[in-house]
Amino acid sequence: MLRFIVRRLLIMVPTVLVIITLTWGLIRLAPGNFYSSEKNIPAAIVKNIRAKYGLDQHWTVQYGRVMARLFGFQYVPARDAEGKEVVGDDGQLVMKTEWHPYPDFGDSLKFEGKSVNQIIADTLPISATVGLLAYLLALVVGLAAGTAAALRQNSKLDYASMALAMLGISIPNFVLGPLLVLVFSLTLYWLPPARWGGFPSWSLVMPVLTLSALYMAYIARLTRSGMLEVLRADYVRTARAKGLSERQVVFRHVMRGGLLPVISFSGPALAYLIVGTVVVEQVFALPGLGNYFLNANFNRDEPVIIGIVAFLSIAILVFNLLVDIAYALIDPRIRY
Amino acid sequence: MSYFRSAEFRLAAALLALASLAAGCAVASSGGMYFGRVAPPEGQVMRYVTGDEIESLDPQVGTGQPDARVYEALYEGLVEYGPKDSLPIPAIAEELPKVNADSSELVFHLRKNARWSNGEPITAKDFVYTFQRGLSPKLASRNAYLAYYIKYSEAYNTGGSFLRDTKTNKFLAEKDVSPDAAKEAEAATDKPPAHEDFAPDTPFHQFMHEPARLVLSGDDAARKAQLEANPNIKAAIDAKELEVVPVEAKDIGVEAVDDYTLRVTLRQGAPFFLGLMAHQFFRAIPHGPIEKYGPKWTEPQNIVTSGPFRLKERILYDRTVVEKDPMYWDAGVVRLNRIIFYPVKDNNTIMNLYKVGEIDAFLNHTVPPGWIDHMRPLKDYMYTPENGTDYYDFNCRSGPFTDKRLRKAFNMAIDKETFAKWRKTVTPLTGFVPVGIFPRYPNPKGDDFNPERARQLMAEAGYPVTKNGDGDFVCEKFPVSEVEVIYNPPSSNKDIAVFLQAQWKKHLGITVPLREMEFRTFLQVRANGDYKGIARDAWGGDYMDPFTFLNLFYKGAENGSGWHDDKYDAILDEANRATTEEERYRLFAKAEAYMLEEQPVIPLDTPTVNWMKKPYVKGMYPNPLTLHPWKFVYIEYDQAKWDQGIPQMAE
Repeated sequence: MLRFIVRRLLIMVPTVLVIITLTWGLIRLAPGNFYSSEKNIPAAIVKNIRAKYGLDQHWTVQYGRVMARLFGFQYVPARDAEGKEVVGDDGQLVMKTEWHPYPDFGDSLKFEGKSVNQIIADTLPISATVGLLAYLLALVVGLAAGTAAALRQNSKLDYASMALAMLGISIPNFVLGPLLVLVFSLTLYWLPPARWGGFPSWSLVMPVLTLSALYMAYIARLTRSGMLEVLRADYVRTARAKGLSERQVVFRHVMRGGLLPVISFSGPALAYLIVGTVVVEQVFALPGLGNYFLNANFNRDEPVIIGIVAFLSIAILVFNLLVDIAYALIDPRIRY
Repeated sequence: MSYFRSAEFRLAAALLALASLAAGCAVASSGGMYFGRVAPPEGQVMRYVTGDEIESLDPQVGTGQPDARVYEALYEGLVEYGPKDSLPIPAIAEELPKVNADSSELVFHLRKNARWSNGEPITAKDFVYTFQRGLSPKLASRNAYLAYYIKYSEAYNTGGSFLRDTKTNKFLAEKDVSPDAAKEAEAATDKPPAHEDFAPDTPFHQFMHEPARLVLSGDDAARKAQLEANPNIKAAIDAKELEVVPVEAKDIGVEAVDDYTLRVTLRQGAPFFLGLMAHQFFRAIPHGPIEKYGPKWTEPQNIVTSGPFRLKERILYDRTVVEKDPMYWDAGVVRLNRIIFYPVKDNNTIMNLYKVGEIDAFLNHTVPPGWIDHMRPLKDYMYTPENGTDYYDFNCRSGPFTDKRLRKAFNMAIDKETFAKWRKTVTPLTGFVPVGIFPRYPNPKGDDFNPERARQLMAEAGYPVTKNGDGDFVCEKFPVSEVEVIYNPPSSNKDIAVFLQAQWKKHLGITVPLREMEFRTFLQVRANGDYKGIARDAWGGDYMDPFTFLNLFYKGAENGSGWHDDKYDAILDEANRATTEEERYRLFAKAEAYMLEEQPVIPLDTPTVNWMKKPYVKGMYPNPLTLHPWKFVYIEYDQAKWDQGIPQMAE
């Protein structure tokens, strides 16, 4: 088990490096620049900008800088005791190399003076709050609905919950979100139509509902089919034959087997909930990671894009690993 | 039959009913005088959506209009935009400056009680620092070009150098090299001195009025060309007879004559420059914190500001909160305690927030085109002509549209009256400078809609337009594969492109392909002229003067069409030397007419400012720039005094 985990962790390093390299290459291939705007800028000013951000250097230098940052190295102006930048005898700033034990993605190009690490630290809690709440809601409702449907197969309850689930899967969140806004904000004036109001607040209700609908539906359907399969299994018949109560049969035996598909779905789903909030964050104008990521792409903000891609790829790889571990813990048949 | 009884069906029916009910209510509830809920927020708090997240709290870094509106709260310049007409009004300057006869020198007298948010006085030296810092190549401000009229500032910003004679210690002047400049200098000595003594004479002032020094370009290629054209100079530099002296911050034409007198010297007469000085780029920024914290000076714990409000809080993509600054010199006038700027990009989201009363006003161009008819009768809808112009570029660098006849034909084939009726909010435009903005400017007319003449021109250019059997025009010879209309999202831009496409199809028998491009890709393609034929374009003026538009084509400036012309430049130069506004405007109109005759663009319309504010928001007016000096804005709690429609502009 330990060997398995270590091996998986070691494979993550080259994976992330390849992802970052590809991302960096794609950004460079994309036409346009972070400094371009509707008003054309004189060539001399473009030259100043490119010099300021080191964009006039050879691409190997620029690539090296990105990679060095990933390993915690930063090339920054030296500062004296008062925090002032030190100017050398030649009138140029004195530069020095710093090292941190964590990746330092540098400063945003679009938002001058804002560090990418700080941006991730500020926005992750918002995305994570919405994502986790949506996941919890999806899990509770999905499991309950799925289990109830499986235990009362072909009943009205079964049909109703599966119909709802079908609806949840079919309505995309960019439709569901505005629909909720139309009803609960614009018509009934109950809930704010957009913006982040902190945690806990009413502003969370609609984003969480919108985000969880799809997952709720998936989990309900997965639970139902998983449970139906296990309900017919030999060991469940054995459990009943032993004279266990129905409650014990369902909770101790059926659920354990029936939930495996839900767990394998959960890993990528959880990671995706942090990434996948892009749409919901746009619809509800939430200042989360997804919102930044999307806008950073429009803005050609290289450090922010690279920082968030690196962060997300690591998060997804770790979640997948956690799922594999959880698998082994729940199902005694699985060994690594 | 059983299907209709199923839970699925009943659920779907219920949801449909709910949705249609909701849609019905949405229309019904806005049938009143205002759009949505009207309830003034407690405690003189204003909640405003300024558009996309601003780039920085540093007014010399952020370039957008959303940024400008936040800077209007936090920073103040020598002058400020007027709330109703966007014309300059005194701010940190006690009164509008004294300007010399040819508008090349401005003297400002500063208020003695202007203070930074940390209580220290704002002096002329602070403005010298502000201008010098904004123009430093190290800052690489994208707005620096706005200040290029200040003497030697372009040379400083672009790394240019003076040449000093090592023997006499004198600097080489332009007149020593170019015969034109010599003639001009001679002419200048005949006239009475161009500078009047609004402030005491100083050595710096004399330096400013010496014959213009020769500037060696900071661009390697340009410098090489310059030296090749003047082999004497090259030889002198090589022989160390001439020393190359880089232009420094101290050389630019800004001088603190004393603590409260600022003199700005321009390289040419520029009567519009005062209007430009209310721009964010010229607003006072603090020397100390910038030197100490570098780019982090705008963090809440470091920032020092000069405007009526100070920073309270900023969370990217969430909100920027400013509060009334008790240190502000005119704090008695400021009635708002707090302004919350929300960055929201999506127009529908902004409208939703406004409807439920989560915000009190929002930025220009937010009301979706489809909603205009519904919103226009409401009492909280604000509109006025905008200081902007909508047009399409012809690629004059390469391709079929290097032929002027084709450019004129494609322009004449568009019925702009119908276009404006269809767009609903705009005024049709045949010229380039917007109509209804500069009352005394004699807007020249460009070519009218004339499909007959357009087809004639097509034939002259070798592409005869004929009628086919169905009575439709066709133009078989035209190389459709070599042209394309490019534009960027949102879809309203596409609608306009489709309209133009239909006009050309109808009147010239040509179906020009359309291509949508992602915003930044589009910008690069258009700026480099890498497009085939025609590109969407638009310009919002930086200041209230026709020159902000005519300047686009001045001296090969980077306009999307790539068109420039020496004669056009000469007329504009003459205009900016004119001593009366009448003469200046007459020459501007002459230049514009000349440009229109060359037809590098298809003028379309003067856009309309359109935004909304709740009736209890007072002191906020629809103005041509949609920039609001927040110190005059307040929340009125007495319902009897609320605005019923566009507030009185004459008050």
